[in-house]
Order: sequence, then C-alpha cells, then structure tokens
Amino acid sequence: MARNTRAVAARVLGQVLDGRSLNQALPAGLDAVGPQDRALLQQLCYGSLRLAPRLQGILDQLLDKPLRERDHDVLGLLLCGLYQLADTRIPPHAAVDETVAATRALKKHWAKGLCNAVLRRFQREREQLEANLSEAQRCAHPDWLFTHLQRDWPAQALDIIAANNQQAPMTLRINAAHGTREDYLARLDAADMPARPGELSPQAVYLAQARAVGELPGFAAGDASVQDEAAQMAALLLQVQAGERVLDACAAPGGKTCHILELQPALAELVAMDTDAGRLAMVEENLERLGVSARCVAGDASHPPAEITAQAFDRILVDAPCSGSGVIRRHPDIKLLRRAQDIDALARQQGAILDGLWPLLRRGGQLLYATCSVLRAENDGVVSAFIARQGDVRLLRPAAAWGETTECGRQLLPRTDGPDGLYYALLEKE
Amino acid sequence: MAILEILEFPDPRLRTVAEPVVEVTDATRSLIDDMLETMYAAPGIGLAATQVDVHQRLLVMDLSEDQDAPQVYINPEVEILDPELGEYDEGCLSVPGYYETVNRPRRVRVAALGRDGEAFTEELDGLAAICLQHEIDHLDGKLFVDYLTPLKRTRIRKKLEKTQRRRA
Repeated sequence: MARNTRAVAARVLGQVLDGRSLNQALPAGLDAVGPQDRALLQQLCYGSLRLAPRLQGILDQLLDKPLRERDHDVLGLLLCGLYQLADTRIPPHAAVDETVAATRALKKHWAKGLCNAVLRRFQREREQLEANLSEAQRCAHPDWLFTHLQRDWPAQALDIIAANNQQAPMTLRINAAHGTREDYLARLDAADMPARPGELSPQAVYLAQARAVGELPGFAAGDASVQDEAAQMAALLLQVQAGERVLDACAAPGGKTCHILELQPALAELVAMDTDAGRLAMVEENLERLGVSARCVAGDASHPPAEITAQAFDRILVDAPCSGSGVIRRHPDIKLLRRAQDIDALARQQGAILDGLWPLLRRGGQLLYATCSVLRAENDGVVSAFIARQGDVRLLRPAAAWGETTECGRQLLPRTDGPDGLYYALLEKE
Repeated sequence: MAILEILEFPDPRLRTVAEPVVEVTDATRSLIDDMLETMYAAPGIGLAATQVDVHQRLLVMDLSEDQDAPQVYINPEVEILDPELGEYDEGCLSVPGYYETVNRPRRVRVAALGRDGEAFTEELDGLAAICLQHEIDHLDGKLFVDYLTPLKRTRIRKKLEKTQRRRA
C-alpha cells in the first residue's frame, strides 16, 4: 500500500485555509492515518500553522500567481513541505520526495512540478528568500497581530511572539478533592512520567512530555484533568465560599467549572451555561468523570434565559469568547483564521455579555471577567468601557504576585514552558 | 539486495492467486529483503509478493515513518474480530497515483509465519489492519480498485494504460 501522511496533512491544512478550525479539521485526519503516523501528522499540521505567516511570505516570492481557492489542499501541501525543510529534522530528500508524491494522493497531478520546483528553490535560495521577509513574517505572525502586540506590549512583544511560536507544555490540574499535588507527583514519578509543580496554581503540574490522557494515573477516576496553569487562576481568584450560588456563564468545555467544584463542593448551586448545546455536552462529560454535578443550561450570556434569572448569584465567572491571542501556541490556526476586524466585533460581544450578566449578580457579589487574549482591546478596553457605562462597579485588585498589573486587572503573558496568556479582572457590585 | 519491478494494474499477472510457502529458506529471506527495499524506495507501507511477480503467499509491511519496523507475514490467515467497517483512502504501489475510499473491517487477528519460519498470531487495528487486508487481497489476485464502481475502475485502467504506453 502507498503511504499518504503528507496528503492527509495537506487536506487538513487546506480545510484550515478554507476557514475551519484545526480542532474541527484534525480528527478526521487522525482517523485517516495509522497510529504510528498520528504524531507525525500532528507535528506537520501544528508546525506548518505555527510558521504559516513566514512560509506564506516565502511562497509569495516563489509563486507567479496565487493558487485558486479549490487548490487550498495544494497550498497546504506546499506549507507542509516548506515547514519540513525549514524547521524539522526530517531528511530534506525524504521531505521533498514524500511531499511531491502526495500530489498524486491529492489527485492534483498538475501540482507535482510546482511542488518540486518550490521546494527545491527554497533549498537553493533560502537565505535570500528569508532576507526578503517583513519583520512580522520573520516572526511568523500576521501583520495586524504583530502591530497590536507591539502597541499593547512594547517591552514584552518579542517574548510573547517567541512563546507563541513554541509548542505548549502539557499541564495538569490535580483534583484537590482527591488528594495532594505531592501525592500525584509521586504517582507520576512511579509511572515514569517526569513532571514538575507549577509556580502559580497550587494544583498545577507540568508534564515533561505530552501523554495521551488515558495513560495518566487516575485520569478516568477524575484525579487529574488537562488544564493550562493560567486557566487555573480563575477558580482561585473567584474564592467561592460554601453555600454560594455560582454562575459559570461561558462554561464549555468545563475545565474551570470543574475546578470551582473541586475547590468548593458545598455550593448551593453551580449553573454551567454555554451557547453551544453540543459543547455543553463536553461540560457534562467532564463533570461526570470528576464525580461532581452542576446544572447545565444552554443559553446566551448576553441574553441570559429566564430559567437562571430568578435568583441572584453570589459569584459569576465570565470566560468570554475572544480572539485566543494568548493561546496561539495551542491553537496556531488562529494565525490564519483571525482577522484584525474580528477584534472590534469580539470586544462588542464581550461588552454585551458583561451588560447581560451584571443584573444577575447580587449586591456585594463578584464577577470575574476572563479572556485568553493578550490584546488590550478585549481586556482593559472592554472592562473600562463597562465600568464607565455601569454606575455600580467597583474594581477589586486581588493581591497577586503573578502576571502584569494592568489598568483594570491582571495579565498573564504566554511563557515558553509556562502558562498561557490569560487576562483577569475582578469586579464587585456596589 | 535489489529493487524489484512492481507490476502495475491492469497487468494480468496481478490476478494470479499465490501458492502457500512450503518452507522458509534463505531464498525466501533474500526475497523478503528485496521486497522491503523495493517497498521503502517506492515509498510504500506494504508490499505483497504478487506485486513483484512472485506468486507465493508472503507480504511485508512497515508503517513506521522512519522505516525501521519491518514486519513479515508468510502464509497469513486473517480472522475478522470486529465486523464494523472503517473508511480509508487507499493507495497502491501497483495503481500509482490513485487513492480511493475503501471500507474494510477495522480489527483483525492474523496467524502467519515470520522471517525465520516461526509461527505467530497478532491482533491488528487501524491502518495496520487495513494494510494487511489490502496486501492479502494481492495474494488472492485482488486489487483495491475491485471495490470501486466499474466506471471508476475503467477510468483508472485507461489512464494507467495511457501512461504505460507513453513510457514504453
């Protein structure tokens, strides 16, 4: 039988170029290759996307005219081929041969010569081609994002960019209700999985090497979950007390929901809401695995459904939909999928969610606004505009020794081998 | 070692039903080495003896990216463990350049002899199961194009015949 891992990678990348997310496109690809090739397929897809703006800058110089939309799979194949030559240890001849051969698997026989010519010219003229790139392209970031990062984080932009271009670590959250982090580290050690404790969250553990969740000790029993360390700060900042009513307003896939319940099982009620009923099912799965329960409600946070508005909440967590600019290393497809104009639309949606939920909070109650973005427009921009609109908001400044202090909250920046880039602002109703 | 010529569809020799290997000899092992070299050069992940015009029940596979996990199956017998079918876009070194979706059982058990004539059984799933069944089909004179509609099969045959004529 003939091999076609690169053709599968090209199809996945072609779908991302068509506008689908990698999370949507990759599973079918993983099914289409053997278990031995799954790691390679992931590497090809993630790696090509991570470098995509740079590789596209090179392709622009090598292609006489852009490829047609229906040839996005060929474009994906070219990105994948360049990635292998630019940034992997795959022997160059194997990278070229296999990539060129994949044109047959894609039934794009016409592209064989093109693919061959592009990859060989890159090998010959790499230095010159890379010298012609813009600074943003060299940093493998789209122009608009590069500009935003430089403007919002002039001193840290290059570190953020470097972290965005790295593979993210696999981080676990140890279930505080099941045992201590020390015990779990010992279990990992016994299972020959080197790990180290996180520095911010007392529940965080960094694995030295990514693993399938099924291999983790006690995963099915809910002893640990996969969650970035920055994301673990949400439940810690919320400091939920026994007997309180809590709303997690954008809950899917439920990581923060579960963390809240692990830290404080004796709540009067926890309502987990999400607009997407399909993704709400993931919340239910997670709750079930961890042996905790919450009331799952499908609804739009900017227009909360009547079933949850009857009684006020003591605490509300708003993990708002955002650009994901702080988790690019985990979702490198963001580099291709997001556009500058998305940011304004997201900021409007984020403001509308705050407006929609604020009436549900009791006086003296607290709302934690969170995004996985590092862009000011989605963070301080949204919160300060909300405070200006709403008379009864008091900004709380949690005493925390982590992240950067901003106008309204706290920003964790993505760090190589450290946490993702998340923003938090804690608001109290006067 | 040597790279052997791979027969291409619609070569009638691909329709030969292979005979069981009576004894695993040095000649068998030498054939296995040549088949592996041929498969790696193609590049492929499986090759049946039929495809190199040797009509004995013998096939080689290597699904690893580094080409360092060769597997040998002599006189393989397959038992289907899970009748549920899975889709895969199969391609074949004897049908170069064409990939089509074929449905096959996802889990099988195979009993066979290894390189030194030792008997073994193993369970395979995913791509390994698909590849094994694809190669065993070759030993029975079958090709993956047989699972396609006659129209598709004819179109592939005509195109390949044209390329082969041009090459000749």
